Amino acid sequence: MAEYRKIYGLGAQFESAAALMHAAEKIRDAGFSKWDVHTPYPVHGMDKAMGLGKSWLSTPVLIGGATGTLTATLLTFIPSWGIYPMIVHGKPFNWATVPAFFPIMFELTVLFSAFSTVFALLIMNQLPKWYHPVFNWERFSRVTDDGFFIVIEARDAKFSETKTRALLEEIGGLHVTLIHD
Amino acid sequence: MSDHSHEITPPAAEKFDAKHIGGLSQILLVCGVGGIGVSAIGFFVARQQFAFSWLFAFTYFFTICCGALFWTSLQHATDSEWSVLVRRQMENLAKLLPWFALLFLPLILFCAPYLWKWWNIAPGVDPLLDFKQGYLNHTFFYARAAGYFLFLAWVSHSLWKRSTSQDADGAAKHTFAMRKFGIGGIVVVALAISFAGFDWLMGLDYHWFSTMWGVYVFAGAAGSSMSLLVLVITVLKSKGYLKLVNSEHYHIMGKFMLAFSIFWAYIGYSQYMLIWYANIPEETIYFRIRNTDSWWYFSQFLVIGRFFLPFPVLLMQATKKTKYINHVAVWILVMQLLDIYVIVLPALHRTGFRPSLFDLSALVGIGGLMGWLFLRNLVQSNLFPTRDPRLLGSIKLSN
Repeated sequence: MAEYRKIYGLGAQFESAAALMHAAEKIRDAGFSKWDVHTPYPVHGMDKAMGLGKSWLSTPVLIGGATGTLTATLLTFIPSWGIYPMIVHGKPFNWATVPAFFPIMFELTVLFSAFSTVFALLIMNQLPKWYHPVFNWERFSRVTDDGFFIVIEARDAKFSETKTRALLEEIGGLHVTLIHD
Repeated sequence: MSDHSHEITPPAAEKFDAKHIGGLSQILLVCGVGGIGVSAIGFFVARQQFAFSWLFAFTYFFTICCGALFWTSLQHATDSEWSVLVRRQMENLAKLLPWFALLFLPLILFCAPYLWKWWNIAPGVDPLLDFKQGYLNHTFFYARAAGYFLFLAWVSHSLWKRSTSQDADGAAKHTFAMRKFGIGGIVVVALAISFAGFDWLMGLDYHWFSTMWGVYVFAGAAGSSMSLLVLVITVLKSKGYLKLVNSEHYHIMGKFMLAFSIFWAYIGYSQYMLIWYANIPEETIYFRIRNTDSWWYFSQFLVIGRFFLPFPVLLMQATKKTKYINHVAVWILVMQLLDIYVIVLPALHRTGFRPSLFDLSALVGIGGLMGWLFLRNLVQSNLFPTRDPRLLGSIKLSN
């Protein structure tokens, strides 16, 4: 059956994090966009080597945080000014009562930012995901141990089964393998 | 953490060329002597105003230097790689600490009764003071002040000495020794700045107390100390030094400025909230003075200027990585000045803001003197720890 399956991409293993970093720089310079590196631990500077640029995660977090502040403001001021005006502990009954509400504003800002961080992160990483083609490549299981990998996807416009294979081998890729979907 | 990709050979040592200082050293010395001279006139003609003005200026620079010692200690305690390139300037700032003992002498020798009301109250007059007699008595007060300066001087000098010795011999033993001093140094700074805050600032009104006071003083000091470090590094870079310091280092320093703006607001608000909510006259007196008459405008401006303005600006990554970080750093240092002013001066002028020439002269005097001493420290050693084992990690820094 294997021969009828779609090609997912080409994978290659590298000897070390440093070799992987050099290879990533070359693939970035070759103009590929649909590819990724896989390492057992985070490698600092890899985002630059891959040419990734700044993550857009901060935008949802800012929106989430601002929503939290606004929600808390409305939740505290609407009841205590509008719906159930009540003097508590002889505290002022105007804008000067705001210190009592700061903890709520602070907490909801943190809570909403945290929620938006987690959910935006899941969306960005396309999680949860039950299946991924790279696991069809047996060698790839070493990524959680000592393996450093680059996988270039077939849907990349520059992908060519022969030329990309030659490129990966040229930049030091070992065990270059065709991965099926 | 640094990246794993490129091998780098160790950079050559950089030393500050005295010709770049130009006339600055003389200008600072003239400011220092002139300011202290004018303050000395105040000492004779208006002792009480002089005492409060001097305490204000003294506290401003003293807390900033304590903050520098905190940052130096923290880098060693956490074995930080990122900070190696900028660490020598923290050490140079912290090395100013022993000089503050000298500047504190006029206050403790000649002005104590003017500043700290409890100083001349006999036992039995105020029962509230009698309860505090175990802590608020002259002998213990002298001993504590001596203790703060001795410990701060010991730790700051040891860290500077070890670090500069390593420039010469490259021995690893200095790194291990500095780690011990760093861990102990955090405790020393925490205790010294907290209890100095209790003694010299909270003691301006011996009835009043706040258990968060020490942390409040520390929070403002640490943030403004980091701001000063940013400015020192920028000036050195503009003279062509420290080329290895890049936007990644500024990014981290900016993050600390942001963190401590938030921390200051968190502590300041918590202190205010508890006192406001409980509404006990003994405690509210502090804020009653500072939230009435013209002091009200100062307090409000402080809340906005120290937190609500820098917070959104520092939140942006672009601010931390570009020249705008310097503008924010200047702003935070000005706000720290306002903070200390609102702590000290309302204790004297309870009915509202009353500027005095001696506020300015003390500030210019102590500031000029400390600036002059800092320039002397600057030319004494390399501009960054040249043979620190973590130097390469700092050069290859990436956030």
